[in-house]
Amino acid sequence: MNKNLFLNEMRRNLTSLILWTTVITVLIVITMSAYRTFFENQSKVMGMMSLVPKSALQFKGISNFKDLLSVLGFYSVNNVIYMMVLGSIFSIVLSSNILLKEEYNKTAEYLLTRPITRSEIFFSKISVVAIHIFLLNMVTALAGFICMEVVKNEPFSIKAFLIISLFTFLLNLLFGAIGLFISTLVKRAKPITTFSIGMVLFFYFIHTISKISVSFSKIGYLSPFKYVNTEVLKTNYGLDFGNLLYFVCFTLILTGISYRIYTRKDIYL
Amino acid sequence: MNTPIIDITDLSKTYGKSRGIDHVNLKINEGEVFGFIGPNGAGKSTTIRILLNLIFPTGGSARIMGMDVIRETKKIKQLIGYIPSDANAYPAMDVQEFLSYCMRFYNVQNGLNRIAELAELFELDTKRKIDDLSMGNRKKVSIIQSLIHSPKLLILDEPTMGLDPLMQAKFFELLRLENQKGMTIFFSSHILNEVQMLCKRVAIIKEGKIINVEDIETLRKKQLKKVFIEFEDHRNKESLNLDGIESIISREDAELSFMYSGMINELVGSLAERKIANLTIEEPTLEEIFMHYYN
Repeated sequence: MNKNLFLNEMRRNLTSLILWTTVITVLIVITMSAYRTFFENQSKVMGMMSLVPKSALQFKGISNFKDLLSVLGFYSVNNVIYMMVLGSIFSIVLSSNILLKEEYNKTAEYLLTRPITRSEIFFSKISVVAIHIFLLNMVTALAGFICMEVVKNEPFSIKAFLIISLFTFLLNLLFGAIGLFISTLVKRAKPITTFSIGMVLFFYFIHTISKISVSFSKIGYLSPFKYVNTEVLKTNYGLDFGNLLYFVCFTLILTGISYRIYTRKDIYL
Repeated sequence: MNTPIIDITDLSKTYGKSRGIDHVNLKINEGEVFGFIGPNGAGKSTTIRILLNLIFPTGGSARIMGMDVIRETKKIKQLIGYIPSDANAYPAMDVQEFLSYCMRFYNVQNGLNRIAELAELFELDTKRKIDDLSMGNRKKVSIIQSLIHSPKLLILDEPTMGLDPLMQAKFFELLRLENQKGMTIFFSSHILNEVQMLCKRVAIIKEGKIINVEDIETLRKKQLKKVFIEFEDHRNKESLNLDGIESIISREDAELSFMYSGMINELVGSLAERKIANLTIEEPTLEEIFMHYYN
């Protein structure tokens, strides 16, 4: 890894990190601030919700409406989605551009003619991606934790909170690896950003479709969102090693392939 | 015998079915100012990009200072500087920030002084944002970044594009000074005057192949002469058929102009039988020699 490049990349992407972290944190705070009102008016709200079709609730990730009355259930249903979808969009946009922008902005001729190997460039840049994703997840999860502590009516499972936060982070990392992989295959940055965002939304869409329709249930396995268990209130909720392995393996494989392609590809400007 | 500073052997690059360069062989000695000329698309940039490990060759090999350009690229890049043709630095940075960033990749003493010295020479305001700079000023930034670490070899790809004549003169003067201190210069351009002004030796590349490597002076003094004949009767020019006529430059009415590499006696002997109004035999310009090779 090259310290000079690493620090420069950290600086260059800082504004975007601050912006995304602020947006997600604000969304979490706003949503969690509604929990007390929701809890205090539960009979009215439940009456209203009973009119909502079951499939619409499933689309939102609500398997049992009573789950929303628990602070962790409310957090999981409303906020983890922000962190999963928006966090993944942040990750894939950052990672798909971090190598490619040097070619797209025609700065690769400056960078690659310095005394630095392609491996060093690759690892310096993916370290920045991993650290930025980690920081985004840390801050937003911490904001979620503080909000829950403030608005809770009864204690919630910190273990379940840590597990859902870990899987949200792993999901974001996997989308980071997907973005990196796509960027090594294409030459132009602008279409890749739109394509990457579309990809996150597409995977989220097939995940939600698979939840509301039995005939589409199998297709959900194609989506990384499927492997994040958001049912935090279930008594047997714990660390699923199968899902953990899925995220770790796919992230490492895609990163490894991207490394192999990047260190052997021709850089055109 | 000294190892050439650049040693290219049978270097080839194809892009699918299309040609990049084809079995290029080139040796450049330490301390030389070497010109690499050819029109756009001839293979100059492809050769340079392989030397810099931006792209990979499909055949052959290239070494810089005895080191392989693929395996030992990091060591090589400690010792070389590069001025790209298309100067694009990070637009959000200011000039000082960008140059300091470039400097930190090398172990250089007094790098900031060197930046200040070069910025003063080129009258460049280092506080300005790169995004706000004109093409010429961006080129100055490009020149400075290539010289911060006092490289042993400087590779230039169309380096004067965007520079005004005054800055070009300063730049050439700086290159001469650096060359006197021992820097080897590999100068790629399609502008022959620049090459002529600076280089001692030159390689001409055409359609991906090196077609000639010569001293600039030898190239000039080669048997090649530019001949202009004005006949009194245009019918006289039709029968003029000499082995030494290399290429016709122009043929209008009673006038004929061509490149001639044969014996002058033979030419004059052949013309003696014809009625001619005017005859001029002169040294061709480098531009004309270049065009001769291309035609």
